[in-house]
Amino acid sequence: MRDDAEHKADSAAAEVGARQCRDAAGVTLVEEFVANAEAVGCHVYRGTGPDIEGAGVSTALYGLADTGSVVLAAAPDEPRSRSLLPDVHVTMLAEDRILPGLDELFATLGADLPSALAIVTGPSRSADIEQKLAVGVHGPREVHVVLLPSA
Amino acid sequence: MAELAQPPRRFREIARVKLADAHIQTALDDSTDRLRTHRLHAWSDLPEVQELRQRAHEIRMSVIDDLDGHVERFTAALSARGGNVYFARTAEEASEYVANVCRRRGAKLAAKSKSMVSEEIGLNQALEAVGTQAIETDLGEYILQLAGEHPVHIVAPAIEKTAEDVAELLSAVRGKRIPPHLEELTNAARTQLRETFLNADVGITGVNFAVSETGSICLCTNEGNGRLVSSIPPVHVAIMGMERLVPTTADLAVLLKLLARSGTGQKLTVYTTLLTGPRRAGETDGPEELHVVILDNGRTNLLRGRYREMLACIRCGACLNVCPVYRKTGGAAYSDVYSGPMGAVLLPLLVGLQHAPSLPHASSLCGACTEACPVKIPLHELLLDLRRDLVAEGVASWAERVSFWLWSWAWSRPFGYRASTALARLGQPLAGLVGPGRAWARVRALPRLGRRYRDRR
Amino acid sequence: MPSVQLFATCLGDLVLPEAVADAETLLRRAGFDVVFPRRQVCCGQPAFNSGHHAAARRVARGFVRAFSRELPIVCPSGSCATMASHYLPELVGVEPFEVWELSAFLVHAGFRPLPRNTGRRVAYHDSCHMLRELNVSAQPRKLLRASGAELVSFSRPDLCCGFGGTFSVRQPEVSVAMADEKLAGAGGATIVTSDPGCLMHLRGRAERAGGPDVVHLATALVRSASG
Repeated sequence: MRDDAEHKADSAAAEVGARQCRDAAGVTLVEEFVANAEAVGCHVYRGTGPDIEGAGVSTALYGLADTGSVVLAAAPDEPRSRSLLPDVHVTMLAEDRILPGLDELFATLGADLPSALAIVTGPSRSADIEQKLAVGVHGPREVHVVLLPSA
Repeated sequence: MAELAQPPRRFREIARVKLADAHIQTALDDSTDRLRTHRLHAWSDLPEVQELRQRAHEIRMSVIDDLDGHVERFTAALSARGGNVYFARTAEEASEYVANVCRRRGAKLAAKSKSMVSEEIGLNQALEAVGTQAIETDLGEYILQLAGEHPVHIVAPAIEKTAEDVAELLSAVRGKRIPPHLEELTNAARTQLRETFLNADVGITGVNFAVSETGSICLCTNEGNGRLVSSIPPVHVAIMGMERLVPTTADLAVLLKLLARSGTGQKLTVYTTLLTGPRRAGETDGPEELHVVILDNGRTNLLRGRYREMLACIRCGACLNVCPVYRKTGGAAYSDVYSGPMGAVLLPLLVGLQHAPSLPHASSLCGACTEACPVKIPLHELLLDLRRDLVAEGVASWAERVSFWLWSWAWSRPFGYRASTALARLGQPLAGLVGPGRAWARVRALPRLGRRYRDRR
Repeated sequence: MPSVQLFATCLGDLVLPEAVADAETLLRRAGFDVVFPRRQVCCGQPAFNSGHHAAARRVARGFVRAFSRELPIVCPSGSCATMASHYLPELVGVEPFEVWELSAFLVHAGFRPLPRNTGRRVAYHDSCHMLRELNVSAQPRKLLRASGAELVSFSRPDLCCGFGGTFSVRQPEVSVAMADEKLAGAGGATIVTSDPGCLMHLRGRAERAGGPDVVHLATALVRSASG
């Protein structure tokens, strides 16, 4: 059953499809997403993902290309803790759900906001001890993004 | 608010202590250098950064110009979603509200994610009084809580602590020896605080931004503790200074693009979470109750006056990282909550100049802060204005006012200038013994007064 | 021959008379007749920066009485040039004056210094007013290079030296800690600066605690960076 969010995603997808043509730097949104997600420490896969025991597996609502972020919305079938408590978080993201950035995300969502919208950019980190980077302080230590080809 | 008041000589006394500590000096140099460099890279990687700064300034000022309207809209929007909004005029009202929520729920344990406003109002003590233990979950704040100390930097609260310090604190709480290695310290903190997240009766967070149109609050963390604290416990209390509002999510995007880049150099913090009301029907986690406490605590006083731009501050810490004075003293010299240039401006405005008289002068007015501020607050100009207010409000000392009066009387006429400087030249041997001359001469050679330039021409 | 008015500044007049004389020499060499209005005293900055506006205004009125509006005013101090051009008009309620910091004026006039500093290493210290309020940081360097000097960078060129007017005596410990960092960051080279306040503070600290020579830009260009 299609709901408002899916309708909105379709129109976003049509826009995005139009923008799948390479930009001035010759980079598609998907390529930009992959580069930025890897730069912040995510593992990115195309098609099939890793099989990691104990991983929390979620479905992302959107991806943001300019920051390599995945956008997760709380819903009955997407509890918040799934992407928070486990050591490893695996998230499935359809390629045609990758938006350029925050502006497009909020324009697409409009006033229809979930109870919790989490924009996640890489694994949990802290530099509070002697300014040295530590990963996995509270949130997942590893983030794996599995890109699913557009339907 | 009385807790925030600063005794007059505090800045200089604490500065002396920090200056004498070589480890703290190195920590301050290294951490501020690093954060500043990261911000500079992030800004230079963003071609539209100057336009964004200007837009961000305008967005913040538009809210300040209609703050009452935005508070109303926010309250209506969030209430429609089932959230509770409480407007607290004073620190006491805010603490009391939160304490009552905890008492009503029989809360024994509260998990806290970073909130500077909660430090401003002394929330943790108020909760203890009703039998609720509040544990800080931000790693740096947790370390400081274990040590019984206060944060000294907006973004990097435990700058001054070594790995050995942290190991000692964590070992005590875990009941076994933890070596001072980053990975093991991190695991110990993660394991320890995991219990807090899972067992807390109430989660308490700050708010980075609130969106008036949608009734949403936005939390930005790198650790994930903000999300955990607002997802697992059955009750979520969020406390915000009333100036944290932005009109729409489109405006929020502008500020989010600047916040992390300016604070740490990241494009976004790892977790940027937008919360709109408590859990909805069918959801299996998320809070049943959401309370947003909007705090005034003196901010209304700033709304119409010369200092209203200070309310635009987004607490990114960029000004701390470029301040040559903060670099030497660290945050404790300013106060236990706000420090650096933003603290030097905000604190006297919140508590009154007579309760923080040295802060406007705890600056060489170099202007680096104004350059670094993502929302273009003219910080060094506001410090200059505060110095004027110190004199106008009679807080500046009688001796100082008389000295400047005498000086201006003499130096507004060539004869007076010649006579006073001739006297000064005669009195040179004594100059290093009293007043400003003494303060100078203890650490620097005094300049020698010879024949004036005008007499040599 | 075109003329300029020289504003010596109170610190220049009292503490750095040789540097003011060097500034006058440079202006003459650049082809200008130099007028020294004898009624000048001070721009009022010390009081202004401490919040004593009435006192500052009284002294600033003396500036207004001393200087004519017919000729540009040139001043060997970035902070005084900023005070006189940016803050004084509003403080006193007068039209702005045409005030130039020395190096900005010399470069504008196309002046080329003599090669007095060939083979010499100098570290140029930007005073905060010149760097951030006047945006004059390229001109002093251009003049120094043209005089043959090899410019070395401070490790943190953006950091304030710690003078800050009365800050230097209200928070003397922090003030000299800032000076120490600046002195150490010159890598052993002579420090050249355009601001008498910065100069007095850095030189005073170097004399007490050890450190490189500190020389005014005008002196470095007329005589050499060895002073």
